[in-house]
Amino acid sequence: MNHSIKMLLTLTVTAVVMGGVLAGFYKFVEPKIEENRLIEEKLAIMAVVDGIVDYEIIEVEIEGKKGPEILQLFRGVDGEGKLVGYAFLAKGPGFAGIISMMVGLKVDLKHLSGMKVLEQIETPGLGNKIVEEKFDGQFRGLAIEPKIEYIKNKKPFKPNQIQAITGATISCVAVVDALNNRIVIVLDVIANLESGGK
Amino acid sequence: MASSSIKKGLTYEFKKGLWTENAVIKLLLGMCPALAVSNSATNGLAMGLASTFVVMSASTFVSIIRRIVPKEVRIPTYIVIIAGFVTLADLFLKAYFPPISKSLGPYVPLIVVNCMIMGRAEFFASKHTIPPSLADALGTGLGFTWVLVLMGAIREVLGSGAIFGYVFMGEDVFTPWVVMILPAGAFITLGLLIGFINFATSRKSSKGACS
Amino acid sequence: MTILLVFISAAIVNNLVLAYFLGICPFLGVSKRLDTAVNMGLATTFVMTLAAVITWLINNLILIPYNLPFLQNVSYIITIASLVQLVEMFIRKTSPTLYRSLGIFLPLIVTNCAILGLTLFAALKEYSFMESLFYGIGGGAGFTLALVIMAGIREELEFADVPKSLQGAPMTLLIAGMLSLAFMGFAGLLSV
Repeated sequence: MNHSIKMLLTLTVTAVVMGGVLAGFYKFVEPKIEENRLIEEKLAIMAVVDGIVDYEIIEVEIEGKKGPEILQLFRGVDGEGKLVGYAFLAKGPGFAGIISMMVGLKVDLKHLSGMKVLEQIETPGLGNKIVEEKFDGQFRGLAIEPKIEYIKNKKPFKPNQIQAITGATISCVAVVDALNNRIVIVLDVIANLESGGK
Repeated sequence: MASSSIKKGLTYEFKKGLWTENAVIKLLLGMCPALAVSNSATNGLAMGLASTFVVMSASTFVSIIRRIVPKEVRIPTYIVIIAGFVTLADLFLKAYFPPISKSLGPYVPLIVVNCMIMGRAEFFASKHTIPPSLADALGTGLGFTWVLVLMGAIREVLGSGAIFGYVFMGEDVFTPWVVMILPAGAFITLGLLIGFINFATSRKSSKGACS
Repeated sequence: MTILLVFISAAIVNNLVLAYFLGICPFLGVSKRLDTAVNMGLATTFVMTLAAVITWLINNLILIPYNLPFLQNVSYIITIASLVQLVEMFIRKTSPTLYRSLGIFLPLIVTNCAILGLTLFAALKEYSFMESLFYGIGGGAGFTLALVIMAGIREELEFADVPKSLQGAPMTLLIAGMLSLAFMGFAGLLSV
């Protein structure tokens, strides 16, 4: 009896102490982690929208796959406050895990101004080449109408085409699909905003 | 006498983890992280150091509480302690070294189930005082680290013509063997590495016996 | 449909052992004989499926609503450890025969990183409840498959003349490398 109480006590105390230490440390580093995330987000937005100096964050509630979710739209402006483009997050399942990326949209709402992968755990050496300039550079100035397409082993010949990385088609298709799905939603949101604003 | 044996013991406990009882190449423990994150020398180094931190803290802690913990619940208790320190290391990397945390990905939390750490806690720290436990943990950790860095370097040089992220063989001079950074390359590198070490040590010892 | 894809992905394309290097210790240790490999695989599959479901509940009912992501690691490993203990007691009570064949493997499963890895990956991929369930079953099936193939090869290997330095673990790792290459061929199977 005494012994089992001791056993229970040891486990409880260990768990509580460890939980306490972790909670304390988490409180301590959480602001830093959040700051890192924001810096990364900011750098990505600055990289994907041309001529951007500052941006404002617009939050819109949309109907997501698993109920309502918040969509963040970053509205980029130049030094004089003139609209230069939009940026938004897109994510979708890749080969190994979720791929998330920051996408820039030109003011004409017909072309992308850039794309940067923020998070991915694709196969090193193949799938993770989606973070390289050779791949993401193709999204600069890419037409989004009727939708983004990919092509294998050939130079793209249409304005809305990108060339998939050899040996990593699945990761590339994942990026293209995630973009196409998100662009539809974002265009809808922007249309609503503009009409609502006027 | 007791103090001299401890002194001699400390160096011994430290050194054995580096070679004669090296976790990866001799005891075949901690293989999962050794294979998974050795696709570049930098990743190997980061993973090695994070594991060293965890094995040292966990061993110290286990050594402190070794007399209080009832035998029946020692494994769960150790696991909770190890998991705690791993989470600390994970949060630390996330906060101060975000790029490293990103490239190690979900493998940092998996240090918990690195049998090397559990092994040190169970077979060594739970039976020894703090100084030898610490020496043993440091030796084990560093032994783990050098194997990971070596494997990472081999795979990075052959797989992407670079070392520690510095490209010294461009794609025009050297076509990278992509297979080396793929999972298959990890298995093959480690298999050949252990085989080579076995070969070298068996030759050395047979030579020694002859002369 | 997605559930089927999740299953195939976990079992074959993204095989835990051959693509994610999880569960290497039992893979090297228990792959000498075919029958033990099958038993170990089944025991792991069982625990893995339960673990995938329970950790999903913990994550979505406790950790996410109360914003406690830092407890994920600790709570998952405790869940797995106690689950293994429970399964062991349950099997010992209900089926002594099964206990005799599986019993010795159960403690080994606690430190099998494949289970913790699988639950963490499931959380990372933001799977739904059903997807997690099938991810667990698929992961277990994949683990069993890798273990059984390896055991089959190693039983044949007993008659081969392997250089002395490569005997045991090195040879097993080299074979695993070949298997991993072969399994990469399945990558085209999925276009998720």
